[in-house]
Amino acid sequence: MCGIVGYTGHRRAQPILLNSLKKLEYRGYDSAGVAIIDKEMVIHKDKGEIAVLEGHLPKIEGSVGIAHTRWATHGKPSQTNAHPFTDCKKMIALIHNGIVENYLDIKEKLLEEGHEFKSDTDTEVVVHLLEKYYEGDLEKAMLKTLKEIEGSYAFVAISVEEKDKIVVARKESPLILGKGNDENFIASDIPALLKETNKVTNLHDGEVATITPRSIKVVDLEGNEISKEWKTITWNIEDAQKGGYEHFMLKEIYEAPNTIHNTILGRVSALDLGPPLGDDFSAIKMVACGTSYYAAMAGKYILEEIAGIPTTVELASEYRYSSRAHERPLTILISQSGETLDTLGAAREAKQRGCPLLAITNYMGSSLARTVGENRVFYTRAGIEIGVAATKTFVAQLIALYLIALQLAQERHTKNSDEIRRMLDEMRTLPRVAWKVLGMGPEIRELAEKYHDVKDAFILGRGLNYPIALEGALKLKEISYIHAEGFAAGELKHGPLALMSEEAVVLAVAVQDHTYKKILGNIREVNARGSPVVGIGYEGDDNLRKFVDDLILLPKVSNIFSAIPVVLAFQLFAYYVAKERGCEIDKPRHLAKTVTVE
Amino acid sequence: MKAVILAAGKGTRLDPFTVSQPKVMIDVANRPILEYVVESLVKNAIRDIVMVVGYKKEKIMSHFEDGGDFDAHIEYVTQGKQLGTAHALYAAKDLMDEEFIMLPGDNIIDPTTIADLLEKKKGVSIVITESEHPSKYGVVELSKGVIKEYVEKPVEEVGNLISTAICSFQPSIFDTLGPLMDEGKYDFTDLIQTVVAKETVQGIFTSGMWADAVYPWDLLKVNSLALNRITGEKAGTVERGATINGPVSVGEGSVIKSGSYIAGPVVIGKGCEIGPNVTINPSTSIGHNVRIAPFSLVEHSVVMSDTGLGPHSYLSNSVIGPGCQFSSRFTASSGPTIFILEGEQHELASVGTFIGEDSVIDSGVVAEPGSIIGASSRVQSQAVLSGKLPNKSIVI
Repeated sequence: MCGIVGYTGHRRAQPILLNSLKKLEYRGYDSAGVAIIDKEMVIHKDKGEIAVLEGHLPKIEGSVGIAHTRWATHGKPSQTNAHPFTDCKKMIALIHNGIVENYLDIKEKLLEEGHEFKSDTDTEVVVHLLEKYYEGDLEKAMLKTLKEIEGSYAFVAISVEEKDKIVVARKESPLILGKGNDENFIASDIPALLKETNKVTNLHDGEVATITPRSIKVVDLEGNEISKEWKTITWNIEDAQKGGYEHFMLKEIYEAPNTIHNTILGRVSALDLGPPLGDDFSAIKMVACGTSYYAAMAGKYILEEIAGIPTTVELASEYRYSSRAHERPLTILISQSGETLDTLGAAREAKQRGCPLLAITNYMGSSLARTVGENRVFYTRAGIEIGVAATKTFVAQLIALYLIALQLAQERHTKNSDEIRRMLDEMRTLPRVAWKVLGMGPEIRELAEKYHDVKDAFILGRGLNYPIALEGALKLKEISYIHAEGFAAGELKHGPLALMSEEAVVLAVAVQDHTYKKILGNIREVNARGSPVVGIGYEGDDNLRKFVDDLILLPKVSNIFSAIPVVLAFQLFAYYVAKERGCEIDKPRHLAKTVTVE
Repeated sequence: MKAVILAAGKGTRLDPFTVSQPKVMIDVANRPILEYVVESLVKNAIRDIVMVVGYKKEKIMSHFEDGGDFDAHIEYVTQGKQLGTAHALYAAKDLMDEEFIMLPGDNIIDPTTIADLLEKKKGVSIVITESEHPSKYGVVELSKGVIKEYVEKPVEEVGNLISTAICSFQPSIFDTLGPLMDEGKYDFTDLIQTVVAKETVQGIFTSGMWADAVYPWDLLKVNSLALNRITGEKAGTVERGATINGPVSVGEGSVIKSGSYIAGPVVIGKGCEIGPNVTINPSTSIGHNVRIAPFSLVEHSVVMSDTGLGPHSYLSNSVIGPGCQFSSRFTASSGPTIFILEGEQHELASVGTFIGEDSVIDSGVVAEPGSIIGASSRVQSQAVLSGKLPNKSIVI
């Protein structure tokens, strides 16, 4: 999918275009480009987010321009495939969303006629076709071009010979026109326009529009003028973007199933993660901050269990002080944004130490991806996350770690192909496991209502679920401002027991893995100190009921995958506690989504 | 013009395919039924859409979000308890301030059906169509295009013109609905009979496609109707030595391995691994992330996302829910069947089996024609499945 914006008017186009593009940011993106008519056609494009493009852009004068962003699907972003495209003489610039089906035939003819191409895209063919038909009137050239094209499209074109004009055409790909005062707009989506105007009309299939600062003319494919009805948008962008949910955080928690699905898509059938991870290391070191650090800690258990490779975990900010004792471990860097300064610093340091690198990030073209090199990046396909508290991206990071561990197990034969196949098959069921947990929202909400005014919350786990307990505590801290701590349950007697009181609540992860009996023992210890306990176990575990005050019973999965249902339950619990306490959930105090300072 | 789509119901009769999602989100040719409705509205330039949601509403909201990906603006209202169609419409009361159309979200609705309504509507209008089984629906009696009588699920034959429940209304309809709500009359029938009694209601005939899935086996028919319109886009890889005939679309990241033969219309989702040596015959939809192991034959069937079919499997006229795992040699052949559901008898010429999500089937299992297996069932090897089994069945 793509986002398109265009502006013609009396102001400088550059900031308007970039700000409008950013309004489509909530969908994520992997490359962006602009074309602005100054004295000549000025074109800039880059892979990565809009901020990357913005950083590279010089100040461009000119008050007509078009811009484009492609959002994260599965293809690799690249600069040559980014829009806009131009013709041979760089007179016309074109953005296209859709597919031209007969482009190879057209391209052959154009090549014979002497046109030169810089890419293999269908879009470039169309801009050369416009060039061929251009005789001083872009609208006429567009109408002639459309007669030759089969496929779906939203086309947006500008020409240096008609300095204030944008010509657009639509078939099966959205385009919206926006009316201002002595300036007009186009966009692929209403939110991109709302800051500038709320008077809009949708272009329909088979319509071509010519837009100048003072006029908007719409014609059909034969050139007959069509009159459009304009409507005034009264809805609020942010509410609309929440898509029926009360907060972005809740929306994003509910996106976990799709996130899991997208992250495993095409990777579990043949376990294809790209090039082999290699055999030039005998240990793994994982480096991250915040929530990603807890994913890394869970990753330690996952990698050691599945791939059998000794793994250590380091905070990114502490990495530079860490020991170099291990001979160049595979260093896995995890950062949702790929811009976390501490993690970037660690990546450079590890590179300098000569370690093989691997990055897990959600952002194509991010600084982290650039630092480690595109073919050493595992992209989580979680889509953009707006809530400051990470939810679906944490789940995606865990999925990434499972897949990496399985890939290593396959490369190193630490598990046989049957076991690997079974685990991959089970991963396919995780989206529905996630839905089942999310379906327990009302129950978890009741528990949150019951415990929302506790002074402290302690979360206990062992093994894989120890880092998940830490993450659960972090969620509570971040958005509900309750003092919350996660403990490895075995550590209770070494101090934390002193903190237990009737004013605290304890959440204990007691899934029936090899830690089960020990956890039950820990629950008894806590109960004796008067703290109410919420047990988190597998469905059908009636035994657990005898030990705890309240229960959350999750769908049963193989123990190695228990982190997924457990963390979702914690996310919902934290959300509902925060809501009950009236906290500002999407923007907690003192916190920023991406930490780009030391 | 705005549209209200009613998408709150569960669709109990489609069990086990509505265990974790509402009927409107069941995939037909790899897209939820509701998507066809939204697309048909957008093709008629109706982009302001209100969805009335209820059962598993998050599945709908997380798929459609703000409507941006569908070139629409979607708002949601929740119907707390699913009491009836009229009650669902009443939930949208505060968002409707001009003439609007109402549509059920669980039927496949053709754009021309909506175009017919928009062109011919006058006051309250209802789209009607012909049906072979009028006794399942609300039957209308017409006189010069005006609805004289509306009978829900008639016992005696009244005619074959049925209501599609696609209507146009003025906001004043809520004045009629208010008292009905107070009386506890929540059904569409209550609403329409009340309106027919006091004003002229147009019946607008359409020949546009309108397909309804009431029972699991209807999914096969609806699926093959929807497949007739696929274009055959190939984003995935077709290995050398694999043959593809007719319209077959292969999603991104999918691989059709050597020696396989696929005869369209067939749609294969993203990230699938098909083959080597797998045959897929017409009118089949394969979801995303599906693995079909060698020497399997799938025909006139629906295999939903994340399911893995082991080697030497045979599926005919069957629907397999998402996340099922089959070991080798599963056989679901089709044959004539009589279903008795809710005391009603349904005779079918040829059906296979229907298996709910996340079931695990060991090797060598045979499913008799017409068997319906509940979700999350476990079936041990060599078992023979028949009849209707509840969710979480264990078969030894």
